[in-house]
Amino acid sequence: MLDISKLLEEIKASPYEELVITAPHTGVVSFGSIKVGDRVIGATGTWGEIPGTPLATLQRERNDKIIRATQKGVVEKIHTELEGTFVEAGTELVRLRHFLSKDEVLGIILKKALYLFEAPERAKYYFAPDIDSKIKSSGSQSVTVHDGMELFIMSRMKREAPLNYSGPDGVIYAVYFQHNENIDSGAPLIGVCPPDQLSLIEDVVVRVQTEWTEQE
Amino acid sequence: MQNTNHKVLVANRGEIAIRIMQACQKLGLGFVCVYTAEDSASGHVRMAKEHGGEKSLYRVSSYQDANELLAVADESGATAIHPGYGFFAEDYRFARRVTQRENKLIFIGPSWRIIRELGDKINTKRLARSLEVPTVPGSDRPVYDELEAEKIARQLFEFQEEQGIRRPMVLVKASAGGGGMGIEEVYDIDLFKSVYRRIRSYSLRQFSDEGVLIEQRIKDFNHLEVQIVSDRTGKNPVHFGTRNCSIQSTGLQKRLEIAPGFDPSSINYTFDAQKVLDDITEYSLAMARKVGYDNVGTWEWIVTRDGRPFLMEVNTRIQVENGVSAMISRVNGKAGVDLIAEQIRVGLGEPLGYSQENITFDGVGIEYRLIAENPEMKFTPWVGRIEDFGWDKHDWLQMHSHVPTDVAYDIPTEFDPNLALAIIWGKDLSEVKVHGKEFLNELRLTGQNQGGESLKSNVNFLRTKTDEILKF
Repeated sequence: MLDISKLLEEIKASPYEELVITAPHTGVVSFGSIKVGDRVIGATGTWGEIPGTPLATLQRERNDKIIRATQKGVVEKIHTELEGTFVEAGTELVRLRHFLSKDEVLGIILKKALYLFEAPERAKYYFAPDIDSKIKSSGSQSVTVHDGMELFIMSRMKREAPLNYSGPDGVIYAVYFQHNENIDSGAPLIGVCPPDQLSLIEDVVVRVQTEWTEQE
Repeated sequence: MQNTNHKVLVANRGEIAIRIMQACQKLGLGFVCVYTAEDSASGHVRMAKEHGGEKSLYRVSSYQDANELLAVADESGATAIHPGYGFFAEDYRFARRVTQRENKLIFIGPSWRIIRELGDKINTKRLARSLEVPTVPGSDRPVYDELEAEKIARQLFEFQEEQGIRRPMVLVKASAGGGGMGIEEVYDIDLFKSVYRRIRSYSLRQFSDEGVLIEQRIKDFNHLEVQIVSDRTGKNPVHFGTRNCSIQSTGLQKRLEIAPGFDPSSINYTFDAQKVLDDITEYSLAMARKVGYDNVGTWEWIVTRDGRPFLMEVNTRIQVENGVSAMISRVNGKAGVDLIAEQIRVGLGEPLGYSQENITFDGVGIEYRLIAENPEMKFTPWVGRIEDFGWDKHDWLQMHSHVPTDVAYDIPTEFDPNLALAIIWGKDLSEVKVHGKEFLNELRLTGQNQGGESLKSNVNFLRTKTDEILKF
């Protein structure tokens, strides 16, 4: 049985993670007025329409790309030695200390409570077309999965193959992959909540909502 | 090369990136390479590090982002871009942008107008017909409407039935696809709709385009190619012979290529094979002259069992199998022809410097594509770690590979599991087969994946198929 209190205590003992912001592509980097110790926020708003705090600007082919904070946190390190230079893709620019939000804590605990269906191989995954449209219109929790059902399309090296779900029946409670992103073998694709686990999952949600206080 | 004051950006990866760098070295040109995070262990990265000097290697987010390539070109001081094959090789918009931006660069490939003209299959067909060159029947533009698609398919079925074809079939193809991606065969009109929908959804996901082509598939055929080379004047194209690429995987991907296209000296064909080779070569050259073709290119042909050729398409780029044509070609009697070096040389504006009379052919060549895949499971790619990879040296063998032979190598899943191209030469068909099998028998290729499964490769498939080469 899952010990929610113990898990919550563990997370509370170390309630942050380090985020490394890297150059998404090549370009000439310039850091604006950002300083070490500044508080920054990620995208906010109902649809993430309010952009996060700008950290740096990357100029490539005369286009400026503003690199923004992806999460709430505090600036820990800025690679000012790169100011005005051409950087390669993947170069570390800024390091943030990010405090876990309620939703993230919930995600961490749910990953332990849900049945995780894992990627059998490193590949890109998509939901099968009919499932995909259902999720797009009514959300993942509207989909009930059962053993043997054709749920995914697995795509790698120019080939696509259908992938069947195997595991307990239940609703898709969490989706862990993104469109066009490579998923490593063994990484979870979805978290399924079997009907008999529903009360436990609801308990987790309530506990996190009431017991976790977000850091400012 | 007279003007060596050039630096070439290699806008590709793996084997072809290495070939381009080697050609640049041969011509005395500088080069700069790009790579992505997944490819950091690839041989092309190592070669750039060891031989490229300063500003010759940049990590980028993707090989398919034009902004990345152009930003690196400017930063490194490149004057020309070689696209290799795949990625931007046949993208006329990219070629146009490269040559028309403020800091103009040379696109090592045909002029963008020619790529546009021959990249468009309707245009190619129209051009071919105007020169009385035969083409494959089918929809001559991408179809976006399900009802229209079904109508075309129905017509093709009826047409084939009238022709007395016992098992009619249409081919459903993602219009934006290529190289055997997104193609399915339909034998039953009742199944057409579901296949059409599947290909459409695949095409939308992979290429953001719903266009689908519907073609008649000629079932019993050989796939031949004509290698054309021409300089920037576009007036004096020459050919480097023909190739036969009929041995393919179930996914219609080429696995073995042989030059020349047929061998009437040792095999009896039911048709006049020499005439077919002469015809397709002449047709290809006539089209190249007509459009003013000005770099390397391949004219792809289907030859039916009764010896009729049909033009399938024109590939306005260097192809994977260029090396097998070079292997049997002689310029002014000399071996060691390098079509990639020729492509770069004429691409940078040098005149070709020889004509058709200077090109002769000697012997037979085979190219094996060594791939980690399982031929018994529909050629499913195998992913894992290559632990031992090596071969014996011979004067009749050329190996092109980006896979290191001195350290273990993890095959990246982002790309094809192609490991190497082995090009074999023999003075005639029987000798090249002996050499080919000797190479395959001596080859060391082992590995394992995380699940403990040992490496699967197509070596046995290549060995079996060696017996059948050039037989119709």
